[in-house]
Amino acid sequence: MPDVEHYTCLGCPMGCPLELVHEGDEIIEVSGHRCTRGTKYARQEFVAPQRNLSTTVAIHGARWARLPVKVVQPLPKERVMEVARIIHALRVEAPVEMGQVLLEDVLGLPGAAVVATRSMERLPDASG
Amino acid sequence: MMGRMEGRYDVVVIGGGPAGMAAAVGARDAGAGRVLILDREPEPGGILLQCIHSGFGLHYFREELTGPEYAQRFLEKVVDTDVDVLPGAYVSALAVDSDGDKQVRVMSETHGVSSVAARAVVMAMGCRERTRAAIRIPGDRPAGIYTAGLAQKLVNQMGYLPGRRIAILGSGDIGLIMARRLALEGAEVVGVFELMPYSNGLARNIVQCLDDYGIPLHLSTTVSFVHGRERVEKITVAPVDDHLQLIPSRAWDVPCDTLLVSIGLIPDNELAQRLAMRLDTNTGGPIVSSSLETSLPGVFACGNVLHVHDLVDYVTNESLLAGQFAGEWAQGVRRPVDNVRLVPGENVRYCLPHTLSPGRYHTLYMRAKTALQPCRIRVGNLLERTLPFVVPAEMITLKIRPDLLDSYQDDTLRIDIVPAEEGEPRA
Repeated sequence: MPDVEHYTCLGCPMGCPLELVHEGDEIIEVSGHRCTRGTKYARQEFVAPQRNLSTTVAIHGARWARLPVKVVQPLPKERVMEVARIIHALRVEAPVEMGQVLLEDVLGLPGAAVVATRSMERLPDASG
Repeated sequence: MMGRMEGRYDVVVIGGGPAGMAAAVGARDAGAGRVLILDREPEPGGILLQCIHSGFGLHYFREELTGPEYAQRFLEKVVDTDVDVLPGAYVSALAVDSDGDKQVRVMSETHGVSSVAARAVVMAMGCRERTRAAIRIPGDRPAGIYTAGLAQKLVNQMGYLPGRRIAILGSGDIGLIMARRLALEGAEVVGVFELMPYSNGLARNIVQCLDDYGIPLHLSTTVSFVHGRERVEKITVAPVDDHLQLIPSRAWDVPCDTLLVSIGLIPDNELAQRLAMRLDTNTGGPIVSSSLETSLPGVFACGNVLHVHDLVDYVTNESLLAGQFAGEWAQGVRRPVDNVRLVPGENVRYCLPHTLSPGRYHTLYMRAKTALQPCRIRVGNLLERTLPFVVPAEMITLKIRPDLLDSYQDDTLRIDIVPAEEGEPRA
């Protein structure tokens, strides 16, 4: 007896309502998408949901107290909070360049690098 | 050059966010020799700098960027095109000389109080958040009530967590994004409360910002009282009926130490009001011609100061155009005055620009009053377009070809959004 899962596509701001028909672990059909990202998203969401993560880390010697960062690839959804805690323990020193890698393979996930999403210069009067 | 301001410019742009940066680039591309951006913040980039989540640039850069990445990419263009940028500068007044040149009065950290002469000016000051006062929430007046965007700046740039147990009023995208941010930072988000029976935010943000973190969304519910002497201690929330009237008998208390309000944005038009510019009461921004010129000749407007946009990519495109027109104006180009006025008709809250000319390409921006699906947009009797759906939260853009108005005799043109007829094929 086939079952139906309902998802909202996170692929773009359109947010298509998706329907995935499956029998046990076997996916039978995906519908409701307006582009191929939708089918890909529904299949991934059914097998192992993933999410992107952007957050901030503490920075010293810069104009602001926090530096925005992101993980360059999607993370397993259930590990997002864990990764956020690891990132929040980072402390960086200005200057930083956009794209600079602050941490590689976070949680031992291959390729999951944490990078700065902006440059921050060192303020001239920043001490040691 | 960053930090440089001289006495005379072809184009002065007020505001260094996405609108101001694009206007400056547009003006340079149109041939304006000297362009200056004035921004009151310590660095240009505007509100993008605190929007650390991704979802920007899918249209303009054709890839998904975070706000700071979008800002920095664009700032590199600005610097490449030899535009002067003065941060920490506040524009207090604007005067028009007898020869049509403008004097921009600037208060600056580095230059004190001074005046800059400009042939053309672009207003790109963005928008403000509506506050608790705008909707008159009754109750005490304790610390711990913030607009969502201010909380975003505190958390993402300044490194302060505004509270530990947080309630959010309003389910627009900023409120939803902040719910996730605060949950990620270790605060407890006790709920998002929305007066309307639907969320104004994107469906994907309901999923990835609320559902993923187990944050409840209470529709048709609002805050009826704020309690607390020094600091917020709790709020009373109550459902509303079909006429948005509170049902006090079903109210309940929610303990929390912080209330964020995310209840809408309004163009930052104080300068426009001081200049006695003609304003549109629907958008809250200035009335503009098809060259995005305000009622003050040689003063142009773009971005969220003109009308509040959904996507920064749209702001960029509109502002590149405004900058181009300002750059041309500074070089002496004077276009004929528009001769057709656009009138919002059935189910149209507003449409921009306010006037059109024949013989030119136009991009019309409009918002519907209520959701309809499917529907047709009618531009007078000249043009009809079928759309699968319209919702108030999503801006509609419509491109018009130069020949559309060729044989049009009337001086007004009405835009309606009407239900598509039965059996009509969907676009």
